[in-house]
Amino acid sequence: MMYLESRRTFLKGTALTVAGAAIAKGVFSIDAAAESVKASKFTNTPDTLSFYPPLDQWDNFQELDGTDWKRGGIGRHGVRSEENPDGILVHDFMVIPTACSNCEASCGLTAWVDKKTLTVRKYMGNPLHPGSRGRNCAKGYAVQSQMYDPDRIPFPLKRAPGSKRGEGKWIRTTWDEAMTTIGKKMGDTLRVGDPLSRKLCMYHVGRPNENGFVPKVWESMGIDSYNSHTNICSANGRTPSIHFVNDDRTSPDWANAKLIFLNSSHAADAGHYFQQAAGMIADARKKGAKLVVMDPRLSNSAGIADLWLAPWPGTESAIYLYLASRILNDNLVNKAFVKRWFNWDTLMKDTDYLNYMVEKNYISKVPEGRDFESYLGMLKEMYAPYTLEFTEKETHIPAYKLEKLYEMFIWAGDAISTYIWRATAAGNRGGWMAGKSVLFLAGLRGAIGNVGGTGWYHWHDISVGGKGGSSTVGQGKSGKDVPSVKVWNELTWPPEWPLSTYEMSFLLPHLLTDTEWQKKWIARGLQVPTKLSVYAPRMYNPVWINPDGFRWIEVLKDESKMELTFNLSPVWSETNWYMDYVLPVGLAGERHDQHSEATMPARWTSFRQPVLRVALEKSGWKPKNPNRATLEAHIKAGLGEVWEENEFWFELLHSFIDPDGSLNIRTMWESKRHPGKPVTIAEWYDAAFGDNLPKLYETVMNDERYTKEEFPVYSYMRDHGAWLEEDKVYDVQERELKIEEGKVESYEHKYDAASMSVDGAGIISAVDEKGNSKKIGIQIDGKKLQGYTTPTRKLDVYTQWVAKEWKWPEYAMAIYPRNDKEKEEMVHILSHVNHYYMKEENSFALNTVFRLPYNIHTRSANSKHLMEISQNHDPIWISTKDAQRLGFKRGDAIRVKIVDTVSGLESGHFVAMAVPTEGVLPGTLACSHHGGRWKLSNHVTIPNGVTDGKVVPGVAPRDLSNKEFLKESPANVGKEGGQSIIDDYSGTTGINSFGVPVAEIQMDGKEGKLKYVEGIKGFKAERFPEYNRDSENVWWDGLSGSWQNAVAAAHPDPVSGMHCWHHKVLLEPAQAGDKIGDIYVNYENNFKVYQAWRDKLSRGLDSNSKLRRPKHIFRPWVKLDPSAYDVNIKG
Amino acid sequence: MDEIIARSNIYALLSRILLQELDEALLETLQNDPTVLEFFPHWSEWEVRKKHSNKEIIEGHLNPDFVNLSILHLVPYETFYTRSDQMIETGGANPVTDFYSAYDFLVDYEVARVVSSDHIGIELEFMHHLCEAQRKAMELNDDEAVKELKNVQHRFLNTHLLKWAPMYLINMKYEARTPLYYDAAETALEFILGDNETLSQAI
Repeated sequence: MMYLESRRTFLKGTALTVAGAAIAKGVFSIDAAAESVKASKFTNTPDTLSFYPPLDQWDNFQELDGTDWKRGGIGRHGVRSEENPDGILVHDFMVIPTACSNCEASCGLTAWVDKKTLTVRKYMGNPLHPGSRGRNCAKGYAVQSQMYDPDRIPFPLKRAPGSKRGEGKWIRTTWDEAMTTIGKKMGDTLRVGDPLSRKLCMYHVGRPNENGFVPKVWESMGIDSYNSHTNICSANGRTPSIHFVNDDRTSPDWANAKLIFLNSSHAADAGHYFQQAAGMIADARKKGAKLVVMDPRLSNSAGIADLWLAPWPGTESAIYLYLASRILNDNLVNKAFVKRWFNWDTLMKDTDYLNYMVEKNYISKVPEGRDFESYLGMLKEMYAPYTLEFTEKETHIPAYKLEKLYEMFIWAGDAISTYIWRATAAGNRGGWMAGKSVLFLAGLRGAIGNVGGTGWYHWHDISVGGKGGSSTVGQGKSGKDVPSVKVWNELTWPPEWPLSTYEMSFLLPHLLTDTEWQKKWIARGLQVPTKLSVYAPRMYNPVWINPDGFRWIEVLKDESKMELTFNLSPVWSETNWYMDYVLPVGLAGERHDQHSEATMPARWTSFRQPVLRVALEKSGWKPKNPNRATLEAHIKAGLGEVWEENEFWFELLHSFIDPDGSLNIRTMWESKRHPGKPVTIAEWYDAAFGDNLPKLYETVMNDERYTKEEFPVYSYMRDHGAWLEEDKVYDVQERELKIEEGKVESYEHKYDAASMSVDGAGIISAVDEKGNSKKIGIQIDGKKLQGYTTPTRKLDVYTQWVAKEWKWPEYAMAIYPRNDKEKEEMVHILSHVNHYYMKEENSFALNTVFRLPYNIHTRSANSKHLMEISQNHDPIWISTKDAQRLGFKRGDAIRVKIVDTVSGLESGHFVAMAVPTEGVLPGTLACSHHGGRWKLSNHVTIPNGVTDGKVVPGVAPRDLSNKEFLKESPANVGKEGGQSIIDDYSGTTGINSFGVPVAEIQMDGKEGKLKYVEGIKGFKAERFPEYNRDSENVWWDGLSGSWQNAVAAAHPDPVSGMHCWHHKVLLEPAQAGDKIGDIYVNYENNFKVYQAWRDKLSRGLDSNSKLRRPKHIFRPWVKLDPSAYDVNIKG
Repeated sequence: MDEIIARSNIYALLSRILLQELDEALLETLQNDPTVLEFFPHWSEWEVRKKHSNKEIIEGHLNPDFVNLSILHLVPYETFYTRSDQMIETGGANPVTDFYSAYDFLVDYEVARVVSSDHIGIELEFMHHLCEAQRKAMELNDDEAVKELKNVQHRFLNTHLLKWAPMYLINMKYEARTPLYYDAAETALEFILGDNETLSQAI
């Protein structure tokens, strides 16, 4: 009532002496800013929270400038227009899909190409990518900073004539000059024509990040020298899958699992394929799944896990076998699955091996019955010694945690997903046995290949990048006419490791310099290369990432061991410093690759693309030289003379290695559509995708947007960047053999149906196109099923072939030494850092193989923001108890001395910073081996050498709506006289200026030292200044750990060939003059360590050997002729 | 017509007082305008204002109180009261901004010196502009526009100002250390509640 009364009072407001309009502040404006908003499509609040516009707007999408939201957005300033020049900027984007290449996962990316400047304003995810679902990790968004890195290599570099490798003297050259020199050298080598000539040119890749293209390149030359980094990464992770199921690795169904059982921090916060896996793990946990992380170090994953177990490195098998024993004793075996798919019948029929098990004391007597129940009874006896007490003592995990793990394991039923990659496997000798044990364990519960379980890589992977053959004159559809390779390269597949998974790449410098080894095998009848004509790494940095880095430097500098070297690399690296040529190929948004990974139980592929080229082509630009379109596009867009691998190889093989066709290589890469010319990207990928992915082909051919395109399938992939060929791929072994038109199909291979036969064990065989009889399936309950691709078509829980033909009978079943005597006998599967070897008070097991989630080996130092967030993140983690005992405090410099437990030799030491923490198991240390990048010079001045940059790439402004710009294209790119002027380039370039400090190294063939002398500093970036406005803001010195890899000796696992990364180390206080980052290496000793591991542990080929390697197991990259496997070793 | 002029003037006066510190010209009006003095009885009787210069009153008394009431201890923004997390929405997701935009009003932040458009001074000034628009419509005998403008005012009061301003104003009344701001809070509270009654009856 009071207020109603008071209203009358307020009428007096009319009597104010000053009118309200004059009193009011006048804060509203109805002006150009408001009009500009009204005239635009933009609203103050977004209509949708989606990051991405619908696909039909990707070619032409307008978006407000993000940074202007700091000023309050259009609510305050309106939209920029002629009338409202201070409004928020509107970008005209073309959104081009590609795929990340900073790790192996191939998450989808979209490049947001600014049409007004032909630059990439940002990289986002690709919402059409089935695995990454529009999301990326820090490394994905970093692609932009890498693209516009002021230090990126602007044109092909050549070691200055007259200088030695590693002197750091470079000149600019042309792509043509480099390809002429390389092509001649390779062509001349191949023209010799003998088997050795097929081993002397070697390719070496870190992450291939593509499926099959470069392998096809080397296969088409008949060369067995495709070398990968597998054995410093994952050999021990792959070996158990190969033994168990003859597949390359597990492929877990994280999203549907109840128990996420991680063997490390991998999958959830680093490594394979963590960004995608982490999302799926989060989905599963939302549904109630539990996360168990086993890791001696408290990783990010362990920190959020439902259960963190910190086992002593390499003792994990004991845990798995303890769980197996409990399951067997508690009668909780999934009998239906085990009876159907374990190869128990093979074992129970193998009396010899059963006797052997008795002899080894695995069991007390040969079982009386040979039926399934007798098998289970035998397993119960075999695993009975893995008691709770034993496991607690061996692993150092408290009993209550082991009990908890068992509860969770049983609770999860058959929905258990696990991964056996890096960590345990990569760090430890015999790490592969941990994988074998956990697969056996998962199998006991039926958690193999099912929904929520652990499936297989080849069920979920797509590999068609090398199958564009129908676009060429010579290769035939999907490459069927490419001859198989008829030689065996001992440098990559040495006779000591016939089961290696895969190439013994980290031993390359040792094998090239080990003349005794070479002579030994030459005398025994093998044609062992003693040098390489050409060594061609791709972006790979073996000097820094491999063990025994100084030996790599020695070999790279030796022109008699490596006659010509080139690295296809967009960035500087330790290795590049010692190369003859550094040829800049593109990063994630600058190259073509078909790339698929098994990140989920589905078959998807991504398509990596040079986004600026695609933007130009979609705007109507045509290259002058269709075979160098990517190079032309990159020059036109101002990136420099940056090319891509696909076009490089097409042309190198066609026009430079075999210009006259005499090697039968030229036609392999000759365009069917344009005879006489190399095949083009669109031709190749249209065939590669269209010929090999039937669902994709059908989809494209029913999509009227594409049916009229010259290259419909290529165009579809160009626009989408990703494709899902098959979803929900489970239990592939249960699929029945398809019989149609006289052919029977198993795992996408066809056989003559009439030739099918079934043996007594139910194994179905049939004859392939070449007349060879192959095992193709198994008959169970009257049905003809594909089964697994093992010799028994079942899960090889008992790996008979490993026991019989390949000399490792004691490891044919999952096993772990049960006492000290067995630790001596089973040394091959006992970790070289087991506590058994820790005799000294200051001895520790050093855990090296964890990744920092924002770094990726060599591929991060060109990104300012990745470097900034990873500074000083790689100290020595030491338990507080141990630190106290030894008197180390946080920040102390300590000497970490590496000692080999096979030879007893010392390798040297590195100096690192101590960080005492409760997050590491006492007795163990943690220090990632991804630290310690170095360079020898801050800058390098590159004079114009054989060439001079004179050609202006174009005159019209870089604007995709400018017709003159689209008409222009640089002429003669890559050729003499076509060298373009590089934007804002003065002739001097920095070297990884954001992340790598300067060091001095000393080496004399026996000992090596490295000391950092200068940290990094802020600087004014000349190139790409718009993207590097904050280059002066560098607060860190760049020292991110020690180059411990150089101190590490090579430790080849006797079975898998894995370099076992962990070390036994002795800790000592730093000495006078020591600085964090210093290293000292006795690499003469390291050579002896490699020899000791080889000679004391391996079981190689001998005069009884008939085969180099089992034919049925995977040998990647090139297709080998069966004759290449044959061997005759002289006595 | 008197009513709309009065409402417009009062919204203008209150918005100005609550938006920013007083300047001397406005203080001069507040010192001498009899209507204001009638609205603000405690201020009218306050001895201090009669003994000091306008500059001294502003700097020594009024500004410290204003800073306390609108910056330091109280938060005169709608979203602070309406969001469960008590965060001021300074970006494009502020529903008040949308309301303004719907009528082509855009806040000039250089003039307003506030962090968000849902400041009590801005909302009151918006009401003043609606009243002015109504007055013009009445002058032009545009009954339809008048009706619509009354609806808009009623809607803005009910969806925004009344949802939170009373709480702020009650707080302000208790926090105020000078009669001017005490009276301004009391008057504003009475006025917007009463104005809502007026509008409710009118439509």
